[in-house]
Amino acid sequence: MTELKEKIRENLKNVIDPELNINVVDLGLIYEIDVPEPRTARILMTLTTPGCPLHDSIASGIKYCVQGMEEIDHADVQLTWEPAWTPDRMTEDGKRLLQGF
Amino acid sequence: MIQLFQPNSGNETNIKLPFSFIGFSMLALILSQLLILLNGNLLVSGVFRLPAIWSAAHLFVLGWALMVAMGAMYQLVPVAFLTPIWNERFGFWQLAVTTAGIVSFAAALYLRPQDALVPGILTLLGILMFIFQMFMTLKSQAKPNILTLFVGTALFSLLATITLGITLVLSMKIGFASEYYQAVFKTHILLGTVGWFSFLIFGFSYKMVPMFSLSHGYSMKPAPYVFGVYVVGIISLISSFLTGIHLFEVLGTLMLFAGFMIFTWHVKLIIDKRVKKKLDRPFMFALFAIGCGALIHFASFAGSAANLLSKMAGPIILLYLVAWIAFSIIGYLYKIVPFLWWTHKYSKEIGKKKVPALKDMMDEQLALPLFIMFTAGTILLLLSFIVKLMPVFYIGQGLIVLGAVLFSYIIAKVLTI
Repeated sequence: MTELKEKIRENLKNVIDPELNINVVDLGLIYEIDVPEPRTARILMTLTTPGCPLHDSIASGIKYCVQGMEEIDHADVQLTWEPAWTPDRMTEDGKRLLQGF
Repeated sequence: MIQLFQPNSGNETNIKLPFSFIGFSMLALILSQLLILLNGNLLVSGVFRLPAIWSAAHLFVLGWALMVAMGAMYQLVPVAFLTPIWNERFGFWQLAVTTAGIVSFAAALYLRPQDALVPGILTLLGILMFIFQMFMTLKSQAKPNILTLFVGTALFSLLATITLGITLVLSMKIGFASEYYQAVFKTHILLGTVGWFSFLIFGFSYKMVPMFSLSHGYSMKPAPYVFGVYVVGIISLISSFLTGIHLFEVLGTLMLFAGFMIFTWHVKLIIDKRVKKKLDRPFMFALFAIGCGALIHFASFAGSAANLLSKMAGPIILLYLVAWIAFSIIGYLYKIVPFLWWTHKYSKEIGKKKVPALKDMMDEQLALPLFIMFTAGTILLLLSFIVKLMPVFYIGQGLIVLGAVLFSYIIAKVLTI
């Protein structure tokens, strides 16, 4: 199970925030990845700012990405603002990419 | 307890609507600047109140800036306030009525100003339809915030501006309220520029500045002071128009300057908290517009204190429209247009295949020459009013016309990506 969650996380690195050009994992937008039942994933995520104009696109991208995996048939993407995103949630790679962009 | 949201809220507007507004606006921008270029001899000699200039001014303010603002609001309001547009089909009808109104109104002002009433009413109807659409949309917003206050006040000012505009046409045609013509005329300009555009730019800047700079941990406490002080400035200036008391004018310009400075300082505080250290050029141009706005507000206060505001009014209004309002819009449009097209073309592709970043969608190489063209053109235009030399005017305004054409090309190019 942990292996599958890790695989989902790695796959999510293909979904970028188009404004920042950094993937959602390194941006620290993915709070939780859960596999409550076989072939189903639940992703708890946030965005860098509430009311981000790209929120539908990014959330849909996460859903498409996970549902595109052969191990998953259905992905449930949930958005939360609590706790709010802070720059501390970014990975070192994310911080480096942001400074270089 | 953690609160969860289903992200697919369906807040995205049909892209044809904002793009139709923006497409029309770019044509109006080029035409308005050409009209100014062709009537330069009058402008340089200090004559602003002429049919050709009225026509150019309304094409610029209504045809370009207002239509851009409407198009952008159709896209930004749903996402910024997390509320879908009340009625999209009504939006297309509003587009048709407003476009017909503005085209016929600008033509009437140019050819037969005394016949501008019917086109003016058509324009009024289009704008009223827009205000109604936004009112119905914002009404359903779950929790109003400070942005709602700024945007709501901007919309109220827009309504007042067009009502006063119609009063002016009526006054010209049948002599209605002719004894208040000057006060109504000045209030019309004040509410159309300071009331409508500035409050709108303030409001959306509070959304866009933190977003484009990725700022976190800043306070929004100064925002109500910006609002309050600026409103006092507007009321005080209107009082001076009605009473002729100079002290109200000085107080009004001082309060507008103070309100704008609080806004400038507040934006600086937000930017200081940014995570993204290297800001995009177009966004920096929008920030540059704030600096220009601060200088223009100071100039109007200094002019008022020296009792010279009436002589400086023409160039100050022109600078206000170009260096604060237009520069802000151009800077933000550079970000908004790629976002619109990206959402339309790639929002269903993200997560499935590699998609471009927003930064790759608009030619940033052309941004710097474009911004230099607009800025140098504006400085030369201003200089031509002082030195009263036609070649300086033609070079300055020529640069602005070229800038408008280049900007339209850059926007059109996005649609090919």
